Amino acid sequence: MTISKQTPQELAASLLAAALLLPGVRAQADEPPQNGSISLRYLDYADRQPGLDRIHAHSPSVSVTAPVAGDWSVEGTLTADDVSGASPRYHTAISGASHMQDERKAGDVAVTRYFRRGTLTAGAAYSTEHDYVSRALSLNGTLSSEDNNTTWAFGLAGSRDSINPVNHVVVDEHKRTVSVLAGVTRVLTPNDIAQLTLTRTNGSGYYNDPYKLFDNRPRSRRENTVLLRWNHYVDATGGTTRLGYRYYSDSFRIRAHTLSGEYVQPLGNGWTIVPELRLYSQSAAWFYYDPVYDATLGAPFPPGFSNGADPNRLSSPDQRLSGFGAVTVGLKVAREIGKLWTVDVKVEGYEQRGSWRLFHDGSPGLAPLRARVLQVGLTRRW
Amino acid sequence: MVDAVHRFPFESMASRCEIRLAAPNAGTAEALAQAAIAEVRRIERTYSRYRADSIVSRINAAAGCYRVECDAETWQLLAYADHLYGASGGLFDITSGVLRRAWDFRKPRVPGPDELAPLLALVDWAAVRREDGAIFLPHAGMEIDFGGFGKEYAADRACAILQQRGARHGYVNLGGDMRFIGPQPDGRPWSIGIQDPRKADGIAASIAVSQGALTTSGDYERCFDLDGKRYCHVLDPRTGMPVSHWRSVSVLAPLAALGGSVSTIAMLKEADALAFLEASGLAYFAIDSAGNAHHHSISGDYAS
Repeated sequence: MTISKQTPQELAASLLAAALLLPGVRAQADEPPQNGSISLRYLDYADRQPGLDRIHAHSPSVSVTAPVAGDWSVEGTLTADDVSGASPRYHTAISGASHMQDERKAGDVAVTRYFRRGTLTAGAAYSTEHDYVSRALSLNGTLSSEDNNTTWAFGLAGSRDSINPVNHVVVDEHKRTVSVLAGVTRVLTPNDIAQLTLTRTNGSGYYNDPYKLFDNRPRSRRENTVLLRWNHYVDATGGTTRLGYRYYSDSFRIRAHTLSGEYVQPLGNGWTIVPELRLYSQSAAWFYYDPVYDATLGAPFPPGFSNGADPNRLSSPDQRLSGFGAVTVGLKVAREIGKLWTVDVKVEGYEQRGSWRLFHDGSPGLAPLRARVLQVGLTRRW
Repeated sequence: MVDAVHRFPFESMASRCEIRLAAPNAGTAEALAQAAIAEVRRIERTYSRYRADSIVSRINAAAGCYRVECDAETWQLLAYADHLYGASGGLFDITSGVLRRAWDFRKPRVPGPDELAPLLALVDWAAVRREDGAIFLPHAGMEIDFGGFGKEYAADRACAILQQRGARHGYVNLGGDMRFIGPQPDGRPWSIGIQDPRKADGIAASIAVSQGALTTSGDYERCFDLDGKRYCHVLDPRTGMPVSHWRSVSVLAPLAALGGSVSTIAMLKEADALAFLEASGLAYFAIDSAGNAHHHSISGDYAS
């Protein structure tokens, strides 16, 4: 026997191969997941409005997929966020930022059972901030046709949130949601795969933002989503295009369209480059009011406030309920190092403007919102 | 309906052992466990260097004289030992057992160079000849033994038998080297503690495991302390002296035979152990001589 010099990957593979040659021993004959993976992501998120740095979050998170047993897998993620900064203003046109310091802890776990033609995943998630506790349970399944060209998906999920804002506007409020999902994925040609997913969510409870004045929203919300996706492999370049369209409507009368496209191009030597573009347009909720204020009282009082309009009427100045359009442009570069490691860097720019809406009415008075995301990720399989 | 977990403690290979498995009733569990224990005892009998009729004793008795024909199983164990010798840069050497003649860990006495030198001359796996299904140890007094991975191999074999007979939940524990059949009956992983190398009743860490194997090598099983220095039974085949860089190394691997040999090689690699463990691609938890923990992939929410 000679003493050999081996690269790390060769060593790992050769040790396992040699051990597997021992008679009468066997590793678990499981397919999924063949490698566990552990990834450490560092997310640096900053969103900006003109003249105000709003939120800056550093979020190291560790996620693990470990092969645990026969045909089971368990996944879990833990995140601890620090959020320090000005809380979003109830109108971007108004000053009045309060200082907010918040710690968020979250964990989720999912167990998947693999069958010959399907999977069943049960999951639970829990997250807490000091004024908000969220619990969720979900059950998802897939079933494939005999030829494996068609996969049906179904899902059921429920959540229960407890809200105890620090300003005691409300105490021990709750919000409950139930979602159902149905979808089908079909392999159309060896190069094309398409997917249609329908989701319906019924929710009831406290939807208000307790930190915004005059935020009084309906206590029930029904949401419908249609999602169409199409992935196409381009023979000529070896790349893949991923196109998607999503239509959203809800009982707040928000209607939204999202058109997204990305192109994944492997470059050889383990490099991959992914440019992406996302266009978004939504209409305002029927009770949203633009940053036009009461003629007598001024900001932040909504129009008509001084004339004795019902102070409990439904209204919200939340920018996310306004009509607007948005564009996201991003670029991700990933490098596979050996068989075990992947490093990726993603840069994303986001800009939202009331005047960019493509359908319905917008909220032209709102200041534009810009955000950039720089994310560096490191993933190891083992 | 979740099956109950049955426990079957036994002694083998000079270690405390236990099989835990879930079965619909005690009778089924007993039959399964007995089959697995019988396999462990078969390997102990076949490869014990303390039994004159074992294949290992026959090979050693023939050292310097003649070749000994090997059965297929022994041949594969020798091939694995050969692979480990290469992968460890010669540190994992199944001919190094002769060094035990100079070391008696029941007495705190360090042998001198004059005692070790003649034994070191017999530590030489590279000189062992294997051909046509037979093995020949070229020098009289040479010895081999499968102590470095025999127990772990037995755990893998016992686990395979249990799985073939339908067991899905449980594990085989041979003196702290463990091979997992599957998670607990309700799907939760087993929570396994890592022995604190300096406190007999303490644990240094714990890890949730459901499949694969967890093996630990340490400096605390057969050892003595002299003049403030720990002398353990893991001996460097080049110097004949105990290694001292690590108090313990635990490895999570798909097979116990793999985990056991990687954790032993890591002990032998001393200062180079971490690079070797990284290259092995396995998850590990190691405690150095100062008591500091080094780990990889056994972290965050995976360990608890």
